[in-house]
Amino acid sequence: MGAQKKGATARVSEDPEELARHPLQAILLADSFTTKFRPITLERPKVLLPLVNIPMINYTLAWLESAGVEEVFVFCCAHSKQVIDYLESSEWSSQPNFSVTTIESHNSISAGDALRLIYERNVIHGDFVLISGDTVSNMSLTQALQEHKDRRKKDANAIMTMVVKQSKPSPITQQSRLGTDELFMAINPVTKQLLYYEDKAEYSKGFISLDKTLIADNPSVILHNDKQDCYIDICSQEVLSLFTDNFDYQHLRRHFVKGLLVDDIMGYKIFTHEIHSSYAARIDNFRSYDTISKDIIQRWTYPFVPDVLCGSSAIKVERQGTYRASDVTLSRSAQFGSFTFIGQGTKIGTDTKISHSVIGERCTIGSNVTIEGSYIWNNVTIEDGCQLRNAIVCDGVILKSGAVLQPGVILSFKVVVGQQFVVPAYSKVSLLQQPTQQDSDEELEYADSTSGTGELRSDKLNGDIAPDLSETASELGTGGVGYIWTVFEGAYDEEWRHSVAPIPTDKLVKLMLDKDEDEELLTQDGNVISASRELKTDSDGNGSEDDDNEDSRDDYVSFEKEVEATFLRAVHENVKVDLAVLEVNALRLSYNMASVDCGGAIFYSMMKLAVESPHNSASELHRNAADIVTTWQKLLKSFLHDIDEEIEVILKFEEMCLESAKEFAALFPQILHLLYDKEILQEDAILRWADEKEGADESDKVFLKRSEKFIQWLREAEEEEDDEDE
Amino acid sequence: MNRVGLQYLAGDLSGGNARCIAMLQAFQEAIRDYSTPPEKTLTRDLTSKIGGFVSFLIECRPLSMSMGNAIRFLKSRIARLPLTLSESEAKTTLCSDIDRFINEKIVLADKVILRHAATKIRDGDVLLTYGSSCVVEMILLYAHELGKQFRVVVVDSHPMLEGQKLLRRLVVKGLSCTYTQLNAISYVMHKVTRVFLGASSIFSNGTVYSTVGTASVAMVAHAFRVPVLVCCEAYKFHERVQLDSICFNELGDPDAISKVPGRVDVNYLDNLTDKQKENLELLNLKYDATPSDYISVIVTDYGMIPPTSVPVIVRGYRKEYLLI
Repeated sequence: MGAQKKGATARVSEDPEELARHPLQAILLADSFTTKFRPITLERPKVLLPLVNIPMINYTLAWLESAGVEEVFVFCCAHSKQVIDYLESSEWSSQPNFSVTTIESHNSISAGDALRLIYERNVIHGDFVLISGDTVSNMSLTQALQEHKDRRKKDANAIMTMVVKQSKPSPITQQSRLGTDELFMAINPVTKQLLYYEDKAEYSKGFISLDKTLIADNPSVILHNDKQDCYIDICSQEVLSLFTDNFDYQHLRRHFVKGLLVDDIMGYKIFTHEIHSSYAARIDNFRSYDTISKDIIQRWTYPFVPDVLCGSSAIKVERQGTYRASDVTLSRSAQFGSFTFIGQGTKIGTDTKISHSVIGERCTIGSNVTIEGSYIWNNVTIEDGCQLRNAIVCDGVILKSGAVLQPGVILSFKVVVGQQFVVPAYSKVSLLQQPTQQDSDEELEYADSTSGTGELRSDKLNGDIAPDLSETASELGTGGVGYIWTVFEGAYDEEWRHSVAPIPTDKLVKLMLDKDEDEELLTQDGNVISASRELKTDSDGNGSEDDDNEDSRDDYVSFEKEVEATFLRAVHENVKVDLAVLEVNALRLSYNMASVDCGGAIFYSMMKLAVESPHNSASELHRNAADIVTTWQKLLKSFLHDIDEEIEVILKFEEMCLESAKEFAALFPQILHLLYDKEILQEDAILRWADEKEGADESDKVFLKRSEKFIQWLREAEEEEDDEDE
Repeated sequence: MNRVGLQYLAGDLSGGNARCIAMLQAFQEAIRDYSTPPEKTLTRDLTSKIGGFVSFLIECRPLSMSMGNAIRFLKSRIARLPLTLSESEAKTTLCSDIDRFINEKIVLADKVILRHAATKIRDGDVLLTYGSSCVVEMILLYAHELGKQFRVVVVDSHPMLEGQKLLRRLVVKGLSCTYTQLNAISYVMHKVTRVFLGASSIFSNGTVYSTVGTASVAMVAHAFRVPVLVCCEAYKFHERVQLDSICFNELGDPDAISKVPGRVDVNYLDNLTDKQKENLELLNLKYDATPSDYISVIVTDYGMIPPTSVPVIVRGYRKEYLLI
């Protein structure tokens, strides 16, 4: 980076001052100004929480250093003392060419306040990287920075470049795998300018509204819901002054970005830079803590992986992503599964099973313990026979023998769980009592722990530990210490969304059903089912592999979906009919379907296309359908070899009219006639269908009645023919 | 027919079975459109016509053994058509014969193979596969559906990187996978318990003819005492005997190995002068031959056989397809 800069100064003489004089600076916010990591963050700042046994801030600083940043200002607020102490004792304070300066504040309650304070200090002199201390990345800044500078040269209003990454949210939970809500962004595909940003869309409404001028002003706009905001921003100095000018800006995204996008008086612009192969993600909640830990263990963040980052303590990587420090005492009969990290000085007893977990330093784990998908920090004692699933266990916790942690449990520092006690799912346990008044505004909530109250509390704690014992004995079993935080109303339903535990299957099923009801027309259920499988694979990382719901229906649904996709592609790309036949045939073979299914599926996709293409009246819809059928009749025909298959098509159509495409219900006889005219359906097939339906119950005969005339006509025609034959 | 040929040429269609099925379906269409010219008999004329198609396909890309077998089957069917049949009857017989061939020899054969092979997968196994073979993929997915707990190591190599396609499909289905390049084979082989390989063809001396690199995988597996299972439909067996992979092979595009797509920084061979190029020969072999010593068992639709039994199948098979 440095070398490149010098090169640039030599060649570009017109603006040497900007490029050469200032080293690249970064502002690192060592405070998230949220409460998502409570109760843990009441006692320790989020940036110092261990992520695969290394404090989060180390990942961020290591990346900044490798990306060529020379000067970092660490802004600390909550527990600022701890952060400063940590940084001073760590290696970061003595790096050549990389200076880490801390800025302390006790009264900032938001990122906005922090940036205003930094502006007052007047330490930033050029472009800088704005990042929070819980970001893990291995991207190269060079290109993004260059783009930012080039844009700045052309347009002084391009003050910020946001880093985004492809990430598709799950269609069921509307959540990315980091546990953040679905994010909508409108981006100009040519200039990469960000035009719209919405991270708190109302799903109940089912739509988002864009400003009309957005379309008018830009020749092309792409609306994404598949991008993830990496929370790495390259900003120009103006950003700081903007925060000062608009003293009500608190949140970086919700206020600042949206404010800039809406307010066009100043004409400031924000651009995006998409990264493809490199990694960048921010730990926002417990779910992303889990996801990112796994990513680190699976080495997507290379070179920022534990064995490289802590070079001194000699952590060895073994097969299947297991990391083991040098002096681990592991019993012979202990099973040490894949994707597991075990820190220094940890002792593990006999017959203990550990998989997909992180275990910190100097822990003592007894025998017959089961640990799955859990994060256990340092100095934890787990006695014999405990079971932990998808839990976070902080420093100094003691689990007495036989204790069970159900999925999603968070045990904060020094909690003691009593013998045989079962901690219910999603509970958060802390030695500190839950703050009683809950402020509705997320940002303000943090204030009470920032202004020194944290320390005050712990003082109180040290004195009061004895009464605590007796008081809470009931709450955490015999000998237990700590309070189980009650989840206040409303939030309870949402608890699983951000938990470390994978989303339980029953929630997914429920959500799927809800969704089905909502958008029967829009979403073919195949979509949702296969999506659930996708999610499953996500959670499979935790070793819970049960694919019971793999049945043939499932197969057929995904087959149908594939056929539909193939057909749509054929329509949009003008693929030749016989090529499409070949493709569908290949699908048929690979899914092991009969050609009956193909006919049904193709017909289904054709009709769906007809419904989805714009139309105002029934006659227009009819015309749409007619067009499509005419163009693709050969495709359909090639899978309808006999009468049974044709009947299948009629049945399929009937089913559609009843369920997914009710608009066709009125047109049923017309479409039937159309298919007959085009020689897709033979009259025998229609008549046999009619005969079969004759015996069905009344409700089933709706469509038969509607098409009675047509069938009558067919019958007569047949008789006439017979007559002529004679 | 043209289209299939062009697809071969462009590399859109790859994999022995896919190519063979596409070819046979193209033949089917050609037969449907065919009408015997006056003063000629269908048997003779159609055979020569098919011959013309085949030489066109060969021009696009050399035929695989399996396709050769399939063509031989078709020609024998045409030759054995009774002269009494009318033209349309003959055409429908041929079309249904082709359908039957695809169904019995490829689709059903694959099903039988995966039943057989799945019995050889136990819980806790670590399976290694090389490149992308559709039979092996089906086996892995089938075993996964059966609820067996195993891991897969996908080994891949430049320039085709077909393993990535396979990997993607496996990961989507929720299998736990490890991906590595052929260079690292000796490292990953330590923990592997079974090696599953696909094959383009198997010769009667038991030599397996398959994507280049297969032989090294089999040899390393042999050195580590890991059983090597080759999965191959019986229609790909061939009575030829081949000892090395040089005398009969297919040459790929030499540029494919001299360039790394998307990586400008490592294309060291880009700026060679013509003079320097004279001293350079790029060799991009597509196939290699694995001697039968390195193969533990061959899984076919006739069951699991040792490589020494291939001639029996070849003989029996030929008899059979003459009969059907």
